Amino acid sequence: MENKFLIFIVVVLGVLALIQLVKVYEMTSKVTGDKSQENITPGENLSQAVLFLVFMFALFGGTIYLMLEYGNGGLGEAATEHGVMIDDLLVFNWWIILPVFFIMNGMLFIFPFLYRRDPKRKPVYLVHNNKLEMIWTTVPAIVLAGVIIYGLRTWNFIMNPEDEGTVIELYAKQFDWTARYSGEDNKLGKANFKLVTGTNPLGVITTEGIAESFETIDTEIDRLDSVLLANSIEKYIDNQKTTEYLLPDGKVAEMSEKIERLKRQKYRIKSGLEIERNADADDAMAANDVVVKGEMHLIVDKTYTFYFRSQDVLHCAWFPHFRAQMNCVPGMTTSFTLKPTITTKDMRLDEFVIDHYKNINTIHNERKRRIGEEEEVVDFDYILMCNKICGASHSNMQMKVVVETEAEYKNWIESQKRFDGGAVSYTIGAAATEELAQEIEE
Amino acid sequence: MSDHGHAAHHHKESFFTKYVFSQDHKMIAKQYLLTAIVMGIVGIALSALFRLQLGWPDEKFGIMETLLGSGWAPDGVLDSNMYLGLVTLHGTIMVFMVLTGGLSGTFSNLLIPLQIGARDMASGLLNMISYWLFFLSSSIMLASLFIESGPAMAGWTIYPPLSVLEETQPGSGLGMTLWLLSISIFIASALLGGINYIVTIINLRTKGMRMTRLPLSIWTFFVTAILGLLSFPVLLSSAVLLIMDRHMGTSFFLSDITTSNGALDQTGGSPVLFEHLFWFLGHPEVYIILLPALGISSEVIATNSRKPIFGYRAMIGSILAIGFLSFIVWGHHMFLTGMNPFLGGVFVFTTLLIAIPSAVKVFNYLTTLWKGNLVFTPAMLFSIGMVSTFISGGVTGIILADAALDISQHDTYFVVGHFHIVMGMSAILAMFAGVYHWFPKMYGRMMNKKLGFIHFWITITCGYGVFIPMHFLGEGGMPRRYYTNSEFPMFDHMIDLNVVISIFATVGVLSQLFFFWNFLYSALRGPKASQNPWRANTLEWTSPVEHMHGNWPGDLPVVHRWPYDYNKPGQAEDFVMQNVPLEPGEEEH
Repeated sequence: MENKFLIFIVVVLGVLALIQLVKVYEMTSKVTGDKSQENITPGENLSQAVLFLVFMFALFGGTIYLMLEYGNGGLGEAATEHGVMIDDLLVFNWWIILPVFFIMNGMLFIFPFLYRRDPKRKPVYLVHNNKLEMIWTTVPAIVLAGVIIYGLRTWNFIMNPEDEGTVIELYAKQFDWTARYSGEDNKLGKANFKLVTGTNPLGVITTEGIAESFETIDTEIDRLDSVLLANSIEKYIDNQKTTEYLLPDGKVAEMSEKIERLKRQKYRIKSGLEIERNADADDAMAANDVVVKGEMHLIVDKTYTFYFRSQDVLHCAWFPHFRAQMNCVPGMTTSFTLKPTITTKDMRLDEFVIDHYKNINTIHNERKRRIGEEEEVVDFDYILMCNKICGASHSNMQMKVVVETEAEYKNWIESQKRFDGGAVSYTIGAAATEELAQEIEE
Repeated sequence: MSDHGHAAHHHKESFFTKYVFSQDHKMIAKQYLLTAIVMGIVGIALSALFRLQLGWPDEKFGIMETLLGSGWAPDGVLDSNMYLGLVTLHGTIMVFMVLTGGLSGTFSNLLIPLQIGARDMASGLLNMISYWLFFLSSSIMLASLFIESGPAMAGWTIYPPLSVLEETQPGSGLGMTLWLLSISIFIASALLGGINYIVTIINLRTKGMRMTRLPLSIWTFFVTAILGLLSFPVLLSSAVLLIMDRHMGTSFFLSDITTSNGALDQTGGSPVLFEHLFWFLGHPEVYIILLPALGISSEVIATNSRKPIFGYRAMIGSILAIGFLSFIVWGHHMFLTGMNPFLGGVFVFTTLLIAIPSAVKVFNYLTTLWKGNLVFTPAMLFSIGMVSTFISGGVTGIILADAALDISQHDTYFVVGHFHIVMGMSAILAMFAGVYHWFPKMYGRMMNKKLGFIHFWITITCGYGVFIPMHFLGEGGMPRRYYTNSEFPMFDHMIDLNVVISIFATVGVLSQLFFFWNFLYSALRGPKASQNPWRANTLEWTSPVEHMHGNWPGDLPVVHRWPYDYNKPGQAEDFVMQNVPLEPGEEEH
């Protein structure tokens, strides 16, 4: 209590003192006819000019320090074929941008020092100069033409791959990734969002899948119906049957609406999916697919095309080490083709990566100790993360990616299950021969 | 607007018609500025809060719980949904309320009539309605921070389906409804303002004020208003479509979605359509923010270099070119949406074209400074700072415009660093420059220059200290809009960098107190300003210090020359105002 009173007194006194100061200031400025705020004194002008120089050194020094310390970004060399091209293009761009950054900012900060006000010097009355202006319109235009041409060549190479390679589907939903390998036939089974159920999370179209979704829908309708029934009372008013519910109106409406929607969904599956489909072919296409969660394995030096789908909102598949990224858009399929060139193991043997991860382990475990969690060893891994705002756990929507030799891959994929529940068998080199056969065919 | 109108204004005004429902452009400008300052305080305070989270994700901050309540920050730990809410509202408030409404609203309103020699805006009534809609829209946006389910949380770009489906995010309920309502009202305000600016500039220029004698500030306000008029309706229509998707079961932007509510009925729409509509506004919006900033800097730099602006016609050409090009580049925000790669290539081309007029502008600024007689008023410092950020942020745009590079930079902190420097900092610095420069015109008093110096140096240091390091986070692959990076040990080597950024951000935010104090104190108690404190040429400095309806007593000034006759050979003074007749035999320029 006493403390609060003291603080109160101090505040009041402070305000009073401030008011007095203001009054004194005002009186003096009236007396002097204060123009001091309009005129910058030579001393002030000089100090600001010098500060521009100081600031320039600080800005340049800071930027160069950051370039040396963090310039490589910590991702290491690009681990895909096209990634190397992107990095080369990036370096090319930096060589244009950095000189512009330093020279232009340099001029901007040196001019204030050189040309600070000097009453003895009369500035030149320079209105325009066609020759100069032509030069600095055409020079940027030429440089940019180079940037555009180089950039578009790279872009077209990446976006129009000659060969699709092995097909994998990446399915995004709040907040995890599922990968579906296309199996021996390199064809993904068709899928439809209406078939998504707990046991068929990707909505793959198979005879079983359709039956299962009917079952799920029917069970849900029954459940809702029975809830409604259990909470309803039938009444006869004027010989007319009416139903009253013990539940709030909103709840009843919501449940009835859901029943209607489920019925519509069932009808749509029947009228749409079932009629169009070639059951045997579709089932066969889906049967050898392999669905995996948690981590995804890829074979080194092999071309992959990822097809991206999303269940709910926009997501974005971002493989920082592969320099690959593509949005996952509900209602449409997007794709990205890439060819990993370095195995996870080789990457872990890279000198830069070893040093870098030594550093990361130190920092990582410092933090773990600080927050009282168990220490752990962190090793390099490729990663897939979400890069489009998607909700509460956006910052933890990730999947580990392993790049390995074909033999290692065989071991791993054969420990997984086919979509039809069977065992996966992978023949080394099979895909390669198939590709070759295709090429000969063409 | 004739002298008849002027005479009619002489009746005594009540408090309400003078200060609240005023139709005088100078009062409306001040209303815009004050509202923008309040919104600015909120906007940067939100960023300070989420910077605390990003800098020290393991710490507890009592202030979070105090400000956000125990629901959103239990025990001082920020909730991850609320983090997205803070990010969303920070972006929305800064982009729309502060840098669009605030910047254009303040300076277009203040300067257009005064610099072209008009008694007031073409329609004072529309002008007043425009401000009050802006006020209403700002109030609704603020109110959305206080509702139980939280404000909009889908990012300032509110991409569907996240912004449509409440089950995917709590902020997509009432919070998003308020966001859409607020922005729709905001657009109405911007359109009314914009029409008014355009009509006033075209019709109400005083005698002798040819388009080629307009100060560059007016040219930028003019092109800005046209951009707004052409692009804001598109955002309004997309907001309406979004509202229909949210509440009426349409499917403009939705297709093939399964949520916790099961498979949705909506099929056939596309979220990419929304992105196209959004960025059709969103990219011109960048220049709606940037052009007035460039215009303000042009005035301040010419005046305080005591030299004509270099390449006046080239500057106008650049403004027009930038304005035109800004409409055909929106796709560069969407390279990775599955867009046809050829279309992507077209957008690469158009986007990089913008670099040419931008480069011309920068060269012209540098040549204006070259061999000038530079006077470092606070406004001049901020304007030079603005040119610096325009350069530093502009060059990294070359990387992001390159679709192939966008693959490895898109939505990383590189983007955040880039646009905050080139658009955020540039516009904010120019806005400060404008306030310091035209404060005497607004309040008839001077701001304190020493506080202005301190304010500038801390602001630019902290601004660069925050956003340059972000480029390096981005090079490390760090995605934006992550609540925490702790789930990814691969980012651990950049923990320090995030701490540094947060420290700069906090200091930068706190240093704005120098400005607020200076602003409030000077508005009430600052020394009285003389009529033309900066010895400038433009017409606003021929009007009396004390505000009056109709701006000039007696006849309107007549213009005889362009606005940049500084240190013209053969003249005694180092400046010749626009209303001074040419001497016999004198050439215009």
